[in-house]
Amino acid sequence: MIENEGTLYETKLGPLPTLTSKPTHYCAGCEHGTLTHLIASALQDLGVRERAVLVNSVGCSVLAPDYLNVDAVEAPHGRAPAVMAGIKRARPDLLVFSIQGDGDAASIGLLELMYAANRGDPMTIFLVNNATYGMTGGQMAPTTPIGMVTTTTPRGRDLALTGPPIDASKLVASFERPAYVRRVFLPVTPTPSTEFFNARGALEGALAVRHAFEVQERGGFAFVEFVSTCSVNWKMSVLDSKRYAAQVLAPLFPEGVLRDRFHMESA
Amino acid sequence: MMAGQTAAPDRALVRIDTEHCKGCDLCVVACPHRNLRLASGYNRSGYHPVEFHYRGDRGECTACGLCYWVCPDYAITEVAKLRP
Repeated sequence: MIENEGTLYETKLGPLPTLTSKPTHYCAGCEHGTLTHLIASALQDLGVRERAVLVNSVGCSVLAPDYLNVDAVEAPHGRAPAVMAGIKRARPDLLVFSIQGDGDAASIGLLELMYAANRGDPMTIFLVNNATYGMTGGQMAPTTPIGMVTTTTPRGRDLALTGPPIDASKLVASFERPAYVRRVFLPVTPTPSTEFFNARGALEGALAVRHAFEVQERGGFAFVEFVSTCSVNWKMSVLDSKRYAAQVLAPLFPEGVLRDRFHMESA
Repeated sequence: MMAGQTAAPDRALVRIDTEHCKGCDLCVVACPHRNLRLASGYNRSGYHPVEFHYRGDRGECTACGLCYWVCPDYAITEVAKLRP
């Protein structure tokens, strides 16, 4: 309930106690911030903030504990799933989750991700796939689309030289144990009217985050990949990077529920 | 407006933390009624922060909350509806 010029208003969506008041270090228009907000909202609604442990990775997400009001552990580069498995085995009552980038989870820590998925340890992994190494200056990542110009592929990513992009969600879903694997296209998407963009991604993302936490509470391994943008390292304006993502990344990493063992989507 | 007549209060309200805003434009393009636009002034970080207009280019704010969900800096701190 707030008052404005003598009129009473009912708060529909308000500030979240699970977020700190610190401004984010993310660049303008980065999906990392959107995801932080979605996670904070899910932790608040599920009432699990006291039990939540964020195992944070290396990359742009490294400062995520500054913005989320939860306990956090810093894992070595790419090793968040291994650290989470340890925490969960020692304290099964806790809720562990990680925010990782594609350079962290799909490259340096791919082995940890694969073994955690193979064991099916109860944990929640959020992968922000922006097709580049954001923090270090836009080098080619395993998820970079063919032809994309990056710092290390100035003539565009070459299929013959580097092979095709890695599909992390498909890889995780190829194992038997994971309970929930989903890919969400998080950025706003252009609509036929050039002035407006569709915000469906953020709403789908809110649901996916919630389901990923609920799956872990039921003892399952949850993995959600968020296709994102990196306007600064793609060297585009914010809205151009959203257009590029819709044009190039959306067909390469199609949205969908790849595994849903507990029937979260039909509930 | 006639004397003694009061304007009907706005039916929705969006609060913005202008110091957190980085002027990325996402809420501006996501708002179905164009109730948000970038201000001509600057905030302390040198960005043009977003500002709210109840009557947008295409209609009045319905408190749908899309701006709240897309904002990467959670600078849209509050979306409120007139108390019935």
